[in-house]
Amino acid sequence: MAQLSLTRILRRSLVHRRARSVSALIAMTVSAGVATALLTLYADLDAKLHKEFRSFGANVVVTAPAGASSLPADALAQVQQAAGSDALTAEFGYAVATTDRGTSVVVAGTDFDAVKKLDSWWQVKAWPAATENDAALLGQRAAQFVGNEQAVTLTFAGKPITLHGAGRLSTGGDEDSRIYIPLTTFTCWTRIAPSVIELQVPGGAAKVEAALTRLRAVRGIDAQPVRQLVEGESRIVDKTHALMYGAVLLIALTVAVSVLATLSASVLERRRDFALMKALGGSQGQLVGLFLLEALLLALGGVVAGFCVGRWRPGRSARRTSIRLRCHECR
Amino acid sequence: MFFRLLMESFRRQRRRKLLAGIAILLGTTAVTAMLALATTIGDRIHKELAVYGANIVVYPKADLLDVKIGGVDVKPSTGGAYLYEKDLEKLKTIFWANNITGVSPELPLHIYTEATEGGAVDAAALGLWFHHALSSDGNSALVTGAAQLHPLWKISGHWPSESSVEQQSSDVVIGSALAQRGNWKIGDDIGTALPFTGTGIAPMVPHAYMLRVTGIVSGDSAIEGKFLMPLKAAQILANKPNSISRVDISARTKPEDAFARKDPDSLSAAQREIWYCRPYANSIAYQIREAIPGAQAEQVRRVEQSEGTVLERISGLMWLVSAAALLAAGFAVSAAMATAVLERRGEIGLMRSLGASKGSIALLFYTETGLLAVLAGSLGYLLGSVLAAWLGARIFSGDGTSAVLIPVLLPVVVAMALVVAITGSTPAIRTALGQDPSAILRADA
Repeated sequence: MAQLSLTRILRRSLVHRRARSVSALIAMTVSAGVATALLTLYADLDAKLHKEFRSFGANVVVTAPAGASSLPADALAQVQQAAGSDALTAEFGYAVATTDRGTSVVVAGTDFDAVKKLDSWWQVKAWPAATENDAALLGQRAAQFVGNEQAVTLTFAGKPITLHGAGRLSTGGDEDSRIYIPLTTFTCWTRIAPSVIELQVPGGAAKVEAALTRLRAVRGIDAQPVRQLVEGESRIVDKTHALMYGAVLLIALTVAVSVLATLSASVLERRRDFALMKALGGSQGQLVGLFLLEALLLALGGVVAGFCVGRWRPGRSARRTSIRLRCHECR
Repeated sequence: MFFRLLMESFRRQRRRKLLAGIAILLGTTAVTAMLALATTIGDRIHKELAVYGANIVVYPKADLLDVKIGGVDVKPSTGGAYLYEKDLEKLKTIFWANNITGVSPELPLHIYTEATEGGAVDAAALGLWFHHALSSDGNSALVTGAAQLHPLWKISGHWPSESSVEQQSSDVVIGSALAQRGNWKIGDDIGTALPFTGTGIAPMVPHAYMLRVTGIVSGDSAIEGKFLMPLKAAQILANKPNSISRVDISARTKPEDAFARKDPDSLSAAQREIWYCRPYANSIAYQIREAIPGAQAEQVRRVEQSEGTVLERISGLMWLVSAAALLAAGFAVSAAMATAVLERRGEIGLMRSLGASKGSIALLFYTETGLLAVLAGSLGYLLGSVLAAWLGARIFSGDGTSAVLIPVLLPVVVAMALVVAITGSTPAIRTALGQDPSAILRADA
């Protein structure tokens, strides 16, 4: 009987003062939503930031150890295995050749598909297809020292080769003064094996350090971190993390005040109800319990709704809409 | 009478005003701190990203092709083209001069000398600026140099001073690998007047020159095997007065968008003007090309493009957090205001029964709300600014805290507090005014 009347009182008090309940529910929902969104954001902040840092390219450079001129034949596979499957790798071989104008130029052999993924900042109008064995990307400075950009003739150790110029490359770095050609063509022509593997280990300084330890166990290679990248990444990620921590704390405090104000409003409004219940024989404990239960119900409803709102991410829904749009177009 | 009521209300009902006051204070503090941080985050992250080095590089247009593999000159070019050091002053005259935060010219050369225990040492050297004051007439000087653009360089000892350069001697710092190779330490004098006996290119050093080691530098493998000396000394040694072969520039830029990639010469005059007046890396490079004769300026895409993405993400994050703070603060303030009015229904009933009009009661309550919002809002602005300065100084490497006190935010924040507080208390005031005064009074008894 007591149980029944309690639920009844609860239902009555929630339904009867609908406007009050709804506004309290909204306040709870917004508070919970903001808190959930921020905590979700905060929880995978580091992973997200590390992902952004992938655009900086290689953070480990693997070279042949002093004394050896090139890497072992299976170096790429071994490096990939040691670094993990989510690491991006690209092999490079270098030689100094002469252009048709008689200028010395660095020619680099590489795998264009791998470089495209690793070095996203390279500005290239059209990447040569993987099947094009005679394609050459001309660095924008190197291109000025080439007579015919369509048919690029290079000479290495007396052996000439003519390549089809696929376009210009601009990066603002050393790449601008080089000519890039496919690795297979490069090795056939120069008989020089790849000497550098550029490697990007995702996930920050600790992951890079761990990968380096594994790489140092591989024989016949020398792995060095690109220190400014590794250090810069952890600096920025740490600082943004600390900043977000402060922000989340501050906002959590504001949210708490909002909840406090809402609840104290609902108590104030019903002082008379409480007085009446007490006069009818309700004990202090029962009244407190009733009020707490009511607050709990409101909070629960608010938190569930707020959690759903907070978890909803614009990015995800945008993707969904775009898929739906595409489906629509197909029809 | 009105003012007396107002004064007495603030004087006697301090406890009742407390919750509303705290809510406004906390809300404005959170919003001010977040907005202050969000507006300055770009500069701060740019400073942190300085580790990656320059985002614009300038070299002579007529220069020969670099033949470099892995940072090592395979075939050092002889008789290349140079820029004039004097021309760098013109960097201070370009449209976006104030966005240039670091300038580091260099002149490479070779030094032939003898190790402490004998044996020829032939090492690369770089002439650089160290704490150089770059200014053109009338403008404030930008103190800059290589160490500023390379925060990873660690020095034991101190950087050479430019005033130490004389015709026969200069201060110098040496890379840690080179220090081991020659067995040199801080305080040593290194003479460069040895006859050249090796093979290869003839020494560039025409006469006896004394290098005093003032420090040993490490932290970057590219310079650990080199001599680093003031640019003036390098120019004397290489016999190329006023020459530099390359300049690294660090500039605050706006992340590149589709418009930034346009070729300015293909745009209409009006569009070109807009392109020119936005701090894109491309437009700053364009202005540098215009200012320095014979120079080719390029954005370093690896640094610039990636910085752009990171910067965009982090500032996006900060704006998102600011919006969340705004929302939470808005709800807190309006809930607290509603409570404050609700608590005083009795007063409203009494005033109404004594003959006060609805309008004058509403005016009294709104004035109280407004006063509270302005007072707590201003205090919250101050607290928020202090908090932002404290957070900024703690999290980011030390810089001026004054930058965080943004006066524009004061009216914005106070106006927001006012609007939110008044909107928040309106429903409660309306309900209270709508009720029958006798019912309220009876209920309150």
